Amino acid sequence: MSSNSSTGYKIGLLILVAIAIAGISAWVYQIQTGLIVTNMRNSFSWGLYIAMWAFFVGTAAGGLVVSSAIYIFGAKEFKPIAPVASSTAFIFAVGAMVMILPDLGRIDRIFNMFLYPNFSSILPWDLIVLTTYALLSAIYTYVLLMPRIAEKGVLGLLKKDLDGDELKKLQLKSERYAKILAPIALPFAILIHTVTAWVLATQLSRPWWYGGLLAPTFIAAAIATGPAVVILACLFVFGYEERLKNAYKLLAKISASSSAALLFMYYNDFVVRYWWGEGLDFEALAIVFRDYLHIHTLEITFILASIVLLASAKTKSRLIAGSISVNLGVFFHRFLLMPPSYNIFPFKMDGWSYPIAVGELRGSLMNPLLVFVDYWNYIPSSIEITITAGIVAILTLVLIGLLRILPVEGDSNV
Amino acid sequence: MVKYGMVIDLNRCIGCRSCAVICKIHNSLPPGTWWHRVETVGSKEHQVSTGEFPNLSEVYLPVPCMHCENPPCVKVCPVGATWKREDGVVLVDFERCIGCRYCMTACPYGVRQFNWQDSDESFEKGFKATGFEEGFVEGYRHGYPVDHRTKDGRLVYTPKRPRGVVEKCTFCVQYIDQGLKPACVRGCPGNARIFGDLDDPNSEISQVLRDKGYIKLLEDMGTDPKVFYIPPMRKKNRGAVKYSAEIEGGV
Repeated sequence: MSSNSSTGYKIGLLILVAIAIAGISAWVYQIQTGLIVTNMRNSFSWGLYIAMWAFFVGTAAGGLVVSSAIYIFGAKEFKPIAPVASSTAFIFAVGAMVMILPDLGRIDRIFNMFLYPNFSSILPWDLIVLTTYALLSAIYTYVLLMPRIAEKGVLGLLKKDLDGDELKKLQLKSERYAKILAPIALPFAILIHTVTAWVLATQLSRPWWYGGLLAPTFIAAAIATGPAVVILACLFVFGYEERLKNAYKLLAKISASSSAALLFMYYNDFVVRYWWGEGLDFEALAIVFRDYLHIHTLEITFILASIVLLASAKTKSRLIAGSISVNLGVFFHRFLLMPPSYNIFPFKMDGWSYPIAVGELRGSLMNPLLVFVDYWNYIPSSIEITITAGIVAILTLVLIGLLRILPVEGDSNV
Repeated sequence: MVKYGMVIDLNRCIGCRSCAVICKIHNSLPPGTWWHRVETVGSKEHQVSTGEFPNLSEVYLPVPCMHCENPPCVKVCPVGATWKREDGVVLVDFERCIGCRYCMTACPYGVRQFNWQDSDESFEKGFKATGFEEGFVEGYRHGYPVDHRTKDGRLVYTPKRPRGVVEKCTFCVQYIDQGLKPACVRGCPGNARIFGDLDDPNSEISQVLRDKGYIKLLEDMGTDPKVFYIPPMRKKNRGAVKYSAEIEGGV
């Protein structure tokens, strides 16, 4: 980590710490005041937090891609980066669960999820698969690092004095355990995206989500963003090393082809919705082009740019630009999950939507605002944005800390 | 077993919104929160007819919670805070709800309401907006004054609503558990509503449902609502003024 002591890096860390503190303060303020500080209301009851939850579940896919590529497809070039990849998987699986917390009205009752789980709801299942995946990723990271931890220690602890023979044995053990763990983790890695998608896709009341296509697009978005996150984390740890060039290239290719698959499925769905020209499915699509064309343009531009950049990324700057681009694109893609689903609602008669009470007294006696609305122009409030940015900053800081503490850097042990 | 349901006769509804207001009063709803809505179908403004003269239509549609037999909100609640009681009433346990609002996403009728802020604060804001400092009478909160719990001890009504939980129409559970009718049924000036036991073949509601044609909202979604509507029947001479034979003759 040669560049890690540079001024730029330190300034970057300071900025992250500042954002994290701002985010925590905003969260404390939100807990004190209530979710009224968000711009969500009764007719638009999930917003940025839920979009970010879906986003983080996607970015946690990196661990899966790398470990399955090694043990199922025999991609040996990934071996040196496997611990970094599984660390990102752990951080973002935990991050997805953390992201739900600010969305809860009664965070103090979160233990009810364990006391009274209702298994006909998809949410407890999502909690189960996310927890399992996070745990497996943590164990997997540890297993991969066992020999190096024994050699170098973690924060000066856990260091063992091993002779050559014992170290060799430990390396074989690590290898064996990793081979057992990878296929166990794989189904969970697929399930986290699938089950998260099902939370939304099972809702007949939300024609923008309902249907079988949401889970495949979630997996495509995950395999597009996951490797991009791994690329960024590895560039941070190792830099653009000669021996890793092939690994980077392959990760970038995986991301680019998955982005292409995502766009294909997305527009395939658009055509199906568009053709009939009537009905709720069509209206949800129409809202995207009528009211959210700017966000749609952003998502498509960034995802397309990332495909171009990552399809054959031969330089460090291309890798960085492409990886950031795909994450931005998928972030806008995630945000666009919300507006068409809340503003198009089945309680309609001849094109007229039955309005919903906002949930807040707005305006004044002489200038009253609508009590019942059939459309809610949701733009995240500054508090929502600050909390979300704070969580992103904290996750990044924890990831950086983890990558610095753990001996992920050492030479490949095989 | 009792199974509660409600019939709303749209021929009798005059769109006065008394049901929505009496619901708000009796259930101590915070400002901005409405368990019951009445709108004119197809119209941007209530009580403004739609269509082209002379083919105007003005149908008022009151919408409480449908108390579905197959309630999507109950299915999605991750902690079982909302459930269908044995008598078919769908309730929310104010002490268990974690405020995730998944139920609001699931409900196709948009009846569920969230407590976005502390109800004391929203009441204060409401009174200030209408020119009062504290309230109409200091320390007084309108609505049924005491907590109501189900037989198994779950809090389903409380005059001061906790912040961060979801609430909705309960068929006035605090009244029906005492053998009284829901406030909206008692408060309807046109007697448009019948509330009663759907399982009792001799109850008024069962007889009405047997004799008259009715509709259920969004029936094809399979939610199986227990609020039934008798659709407006008169189509002929709609909007025309009919005078008695004597007056007609006199003119």
